[in-house]
Amino acid sequence: MANTQSIERSGGAGAFPSVKTILALITGVMMLVDLYFIFMVAPTDSVLGHVQRVFYFHVPIAIVSFLAFFVVFIGSLGFLIRRTPKWDAVAHASAEVGVVFVTLALLTGIIWARPIWNTWWTWEPRLTTTMILWLIYVAYLMVRSYAPSQSKGAIYAAVVGIIGFVDVPIVYYSVVWWRSIHPSPVVGPFAQADALDGTMALVLLFSLITFLFFFAYMVAERMELRSTEEALGRIRFTLRRRGR
Amino acid sequence: MLDFILLSSHLPSSNLPYLFAAFAVSWVVLFGYLFYVNRRQHEMKKEIARLQNVLDQTPEEE
Amino acid sequence: MNGLLGPIMVIVWKDVLLELRSRDLVVSVVVFGLLVVVVFNFALNNTPGRSEELAPGILWAAFAFAAILSMNRAFVRDQEQGGLEGLLISPVSRDAIFLGKAFTSLIFMLLVEAALLPIYAVMLDFSALSWYLMLTIFLGTLGFAVVGTLFSAMAVQTRSREIMLPVLFFPVLLPVIIAAVEATTRAVGGETFIGLGRWLPLIGVFDALFLVICPWVFSFVVEE
Repeated sequence: MANTQSIERSGGAGAFPSVKTILALITGVMMLVDLYFIFMVAPTDSVLGHVQRVFYFHVPIAIVSFLAFFVVFIGSLGFLIRRTPKWDAVAHASAEVGVVFVTLALLTGIIWARPIWNTWWTWEPRLTTTMILWLIYVAYLMVRSYAPSQSKGAIYAAVVGIIGFVDVPIVYYSVVWWRSIHPSPVVGPFAQADALDGTMALVLLFSLITFLFFFAYMVAERMELRSTEEALGRIRFTLRRRGR
Repeated sequence: MLDFILLSSHLPSSNLPYLFAAFAVSWVVLFGYLFYVNRRQHEMKKEIARLQNVLDQTPEEE
Repeated sequence: MNGLLGPIMVIVWKDVLLELRSRDLVVSVVVFGLLVVVVFNFALNNTPGRSEELAPGILWAAFAFAAILSMNRAFVRDQEQGGLEGLLISPVSRDAIFLGKAFTSLIFMLLVEAALLPIYAVMLDFSALSWYLMLTIFLGTLGFAVVGTLFSAMAVQTRSREIMLPVLFFPVLLPVIIAAVEATTRAVGGETFIGLGRWLPLIGVFDALFLVICPWVFSFVVEE
């Protein structure tokens, strides 16, 4: 009987579950506190009313989605240069969780836009760049799954991760400059950074940290899923070799 | 403390549905994804356990 | 640098010769370019008064779609005939291979655009006689060629190659398209370099940046 068999039984690398659980606990607690802050502590905006509280979710989610892409970039670079699977695993997990966050940033952005600007969508720089970010993430995941093999998929994805990330600032500035020439006739109270009151800024910051932990937790979950996938692959391979 | 009586008088128009929608969507998406990941994890672990059994029962090659 | 230029020229020459012998790619892309303009003309409701406003956008939309089409076809043909493997076995550097392919695409697209431009000038009613317009078209197409060649090399190996190239290409090249349309609007309006604003420098920076990055990552894409 082989030692290799018992490795599969232990359920994956020993340290993983506990890091994940810690992250989950911290996230859970912080989220509850965050909700309290958002609804009970943050002052009501004088112009926009209570709907402004969406801001405390929308902005941190958008920031985290950009951060996720940065992680994808680093992971992609690391993978192309070093070729250890760990880099690719981080990039992959971060990209998938990143898509979730960007999707949410877009959705909350749209829901935010309607009462504020009286339109579902506006081609302003941040929203447009978020849209492009979404498209690049999706291209990242597509190229990985449509590639001829797993290893090629990882390489192609890494290329997209790098090119895409370098491109995002260029996209942002091009839209900012375009916007300055084609301003939009905005109707409704302006949500342009209503002078951030001290308390509001603190709540925003706390919310950001909460979502950073949430992100870390989700990436940890996704990475564990990937190791399980690999374990399944290995055991299937072993079985096939034994002719079963 | 949230003052429910004053709530509506603070709004330029009735925007509360949007507030609710934004938070609801956030929870659905975030927990939906976590649920999806956990479920796949669970299914795979079951499959691994099953295959492990099969493996234990087959003799080693050569 | 000499070592790089030689192989590049050989690759370019080979592809251009192939193309001149068959001619099918140039003609079909030019026809496609005409179709795009006709469709956009009606889709955007291009009445004579609005032509000035809409023409640059239609022009670049047509050029972008034509670029995708031509790069897709060029690599598919290469893959079918095994041209790329032959190159990889030879001692040519990966950078040279990439630059050769990109330059070929560039020349090809410029030829198509040169054929289309006079027709567009008539159909969309604008004056194409501007050096700045030529410069804009050159820089924009260079951006298309550099990034497009890299993405084609990947897309052609994937399961869904026709859809993969546009999905990769458009989000990344959006700034070039935005800048090109803005610069074209001004160039056609008779502006000189200063009047073109930041738009040409934006395309220039994009081109320079990706001329460095794309050859580097290309070596990973084609390695075995």
